[in-house]
Amino acid sequence: MEQLSMEQLNVIAGAIMITIAALAGGFGNAMVISRFIEGVARQPEARATLLVQAILGVALVEVIPIIAVAFGIMKVLNIL
Amino acid sequence: MNRKRMDKTEKLSFQLGEIPVVFDIPVMIATTVAFLVVLALSLLAARNLTMVPTGLQNFIEMIIDFTSGIVRTNMDEKTASRFYGFAFTLFVYVVVSNELGLMFNVVTSEGNHQNAYAWWKSPTADINAVFSLAIAITLFAHLLGVIKSPKLYLREYFKPYWWMFPLHIIDEVAKPLTHGMRLWANIFAGEVLVIVLLQMNWLFAGAPLMVWIGYSLFVGVVQAYVFTILAFIYLSQKISTHD
Repeated sequence: MEQLSMEQLNVIAGAIMITIAALAGGFGNAMVISRFIEGVARQPEARATLLVQAILGVALVEVIPIIAVAFGIMKVLNIL
Repeated sequence: MNRKRMDKTEKLSFQLGEIPVVFDIPVMIATTVAFLVVLALSLLAARNLTMVPTGLQNFIEMIIDFTSGIVRTNMDEKTASRFYGFAFTLFVYVVVSNELGLMFNVVTSEGNHQNAYAWWKSPTADINAVFSLAIAITLFAHLLGVIKSPKLYLREYFKPYWWMFPLHIIDEVAKPLTHGMRLWANIFAGEVLVIVLLQMNWLFAGAPLMVWIGYSLFVGVVQAYVFTILAFIYLSQKISTHD
C-alpha cells in the first residue's frame, strides 16, 4: 500500500471527527426530544413552556458536536 | 492537488514592540455595520414614542420584554433592573452579527481565482471577535463580584473544601472558553457549509442551500438567546449566590 500524504490524512481525520460528532449529537438530541414528547403526552397544557426548555436543551447539547464539526471542517479544508 | 478552500481575507498587521498584532479587515467592517444597524434600529424605534406602541416600537418593546425576562429569571428584581439595557444590547448585537454574513458575500479577485479575497462575513464567525465578547463578559462578572464583596468573592473559590481550589480555577477558565466557542462554532459551521454548497452545481445544491440558510437564520437567533442566557447565568453566579 502506498503512503498517504499528510493532506489526505487530514481529510480522513476531519471525516472521522465529523462522523463521531454527528453520531453523538444525534443521540444527545434524541434524548432531549424524546423526554420532551413524553412530557407533552403526559401534560399537554405545559407544551409552550416545555418547548422553550427543549429548544434551549437542544441548543446546549448541539454545541459540543458542532465544535467538533467546526474543527473537522478546518481539518478537511486544511486551514488548521 | 487543487482542492476548493475558503477565500482568504485581507489582514491589517503591524508590530507592537515584539508582539505581532493582526486585525481581520472583514470582521472590522462587519462589526462596524452590526453596531450601526443596532444603533439605527434603536434610534428609529425611539422616535415618536407613543403609549400604544405600533410598528417598529412594538417590535422593539417585544424584544426588550423578552430579554428582561431572561435577566429576571436569573436575578432578583432589584439587581435585575440594572441589567435590562445590557441584556437588550447584547442580544440584539449578537443576533444582528449572526445574520449579517448570511445575506450576501463580497469577493474580489485579481487575475486568477486563486487570489480571491472575501470582504464580508459574520463577525461572530471569527473566533477572536467572539472571544473578545466572552472574555469581556467574564471580566465584568468577576469585577462585579469583587466590588460587591472581595472577601466573599475569594471565599467562593474554597467552597465546599479548600482543596477544591484547582477545580474552581479550571471552571473559571472553561467558562469563557465554552461560552465563546459555542457561538463561534455554530455560526462558523453554518457559513462554511453555505460556502461549500455555493461551490457545487446549483441544480443539486439549490434546494439544500435554501433549507440550510433558513436553518442558519433560526440557529443564529437561538444561539444569541443561549449566549445571553449564559452571560446572565455567569453574572448572577458572581453577584447573587453569596450569602
